[in-house]
Amino acid sequence: MLRLALRNVFRHRLRTALTLAAIVSGVCGLMLTGGFVEDSLLQLREATIHSQIGHLQIYRTGYYEHGLQRPYQFLIDEPSEVLRIVARLPDVENAMLRLNFSGVINNGRTDLPIVGVGLEPEKENRLGSFVAVTDGRALRGNDVYQIVLGEGVAKSSKLRPGDSATLLVTTAGGALNTLDFEVVGIFRSFSKDYDARTVRIPLAAAHELLDVHSANAVVVSLKDTGATADAATFLRRDLDEHRYEVKTWDQLADFYGKTAALYRRQFAVLQIIILIAVLLSVANSINMSTFDRIGEFGTLRALGNTSGTVLRLVLSENLVLGLVGAFGGAIVGALLAWVISAVGIPMPPPPNSNEGYIAVIRIVPWVVAASMLVGFAATLGGAVWPAFRVARLSIVDALRQNQ
Amino acid sequence: MVVRVENVSKTYRLGDQHVPALKNVNLSVEPGVFLALAGPSGSGKTTLLNLMGCIDTPTSGRLFINNQDVTGKTSDELADLRARSIGFIFQTFNLLPVLSAEENVEYPLLQITEIDKKERRARVLRYLEMVGIARFARHRPNQLSGGQRQRVAIARALAIHPTIVLADEPTANLDHVTGKSILRLMKSINRKFGTTFVFSTHDPRVMALANRLVHIEDGEITRLGVRTRDKGLLYAAERAQCTNDVED
Repeated sequence: MLRLALRNVFRHRLRTALTLAAIVSGVCGLMLTGGFVEDSLLQLREATIHSQIGHLQIYRTGYYEHGLQRPYQFLIDEPSEVLRIVARLPDVENAMLRLNFSGVINNGRTDLPIVGVGLEPEKENRLGSFVAVTDGRALRGNDVYQIVLGEGVAKSSKLRPGDSATLLVTTAGGALNTLDFEVVGIFRSFSKDYDARTVRIPLAAAHELLDVHSANAVVVSLKDTGATADAATFLRRDLDEHRYEVKTWDQLADFYGKTAALYRRQFAVLQIIILIAVLLSVANSINMSTFDRIGEFGTLRALGNTSGTVLRLVLSENLVLGLVGAFGGAIVGALLAWVISAVGIPMPPPPNSNEGYIAVIRIVPWVVAASMLVGFAATLGGAVWPAFRVARLSIVDALRQNQ
Repeated sequence: MVVRVENVSKTYRLGDQHVPALKNVNLSVEPGVFLALAGPSGSGKTTLLNLMGCIDTPTSGRLFINNQDVTGKTSDELADLRARSIGFIFQTFNLLPVLSAEENVEYPLLQITEIDKKERRARVLRYLEMVGIARFARHRPNQLSGGQRQRVAIARALAIHPTIVLADEPTANLDHVTGKSILRLMKSINRKFGTTFVFSTHDPRVMALANRLVHIEDGEITRLGVRTRDKGLLYAAERAQCTNDVED
């Protein structure tokens, strides 16, 4: 029967080709949009990680919730202990210390509240591949009293590379302390908010300014973002949870999670729409070709095939059609994705950012599978009603169509 | 009796009208006959043929195939009966266009699971040769002439070793010469192998070859005739409402 079904499918080449074209374009469309969505999310993810957050951050327990109000209570006094454990991670790329603080920057005329980060310049530069230097240079390993400003901070304070600025903070003891810095560069990350309030100085200078000798965050970067969950489990197991807490990048970047959920929901709606569209166009074509062959089905039944057999014949023909369409669509979709990606799609800056980027179409297994499934299901769905109708016809009426 | 039709009526509903196609028909078909159901169009001969072939069911009355009452059988049971016992030959040939001649002949055999592949091959070959079409075994229907297609159809009908072969105006779509040779083929098979043939026809040539003649008009059997070798065609009762019990 399979032979009969296969031959029947390819009987009317033009009609089959048109039906296949409908299925293929549906599958293709889904693959391209899905791949585009995946790329957007991937870019966003990598930008998030490689701008400021890293893959994981380790704090003193309680810092994430209360660290803002009581910064001096959650210092990591023995960073070497943490670093030793981090070094045992299989996928670790780097681990660096940060001392986050808040204070005020003074340009000689006015004060501007800022958030400061004391960091290790060489390591941070390797992590921060999504941070652009728009003027001057980034911090270097041998810098001492140099400072780089976020784009928004520079604009508001009208500071430029070469100018000097003063940072003013409250120390642990409650006293005020100031330190002068030389502005050497202006940076831009993918978050405008971040750039509007953040400045960066070398860790040693932060120690001097705040009169502490510790850090409040250990930032871990991994070789592969996919290893984040495993690394988190590993660290949580080995670090005493009463002293340290581990946060992954998606826990720290609320924006990403919400964006991903939004995009994926939009894509699901698109899948439904395309399913209906393909189903309707395929149903029409299958309906026509099935009813065209009523005479033939009448003959089959006169020869002794049951109506169940006729039903199975029609369904298996369309099953073949659906499979060919789904696989064909996947291949054409992959080819198109490859071509479009080679050219690249220039994208405007996303919200809260100043940087545009080049988008590509990613070929991701679940997108391919979902697209193929939609194409296949639409074909089978479009065949069900004609198949049942034809199987239920009276034989005499069916045979009459042969005249 | 190969087929027995007992007090059978068939009524069609067209909208809210009831059209009686057959009215209380009685008929018996003996094995080995070459029977023609003759009548003008609309007489009910095709309806009677359809009932005998179990592709339609009577509104009232009973139907017996090989002395088995098939009246109450389900659609699937009738399909099985047709697959094993009834061969059809259609006016429009009705070959499956995507299958070759030999595949067409083989098709009904595929449903009879007791017949293995070897036996199938043997039968296909035998009947293709019998109808004189073995040369064209691999051809598709669209590569065959009308007469050749009908020969394939005959082979297909015979391959299942049916109890009865039902032919609905088999020569209507063929020219004179071809039609004659098709009829001669069927008659010779009937004579040689004793296969029972029942025709529905208004073609006098078919009627001339038949050894049983059943005239139908307006859904009723009007005359029953028997053709014997020496006495020629004899008509039994006029307006027969009783079973055909004419002995030869």
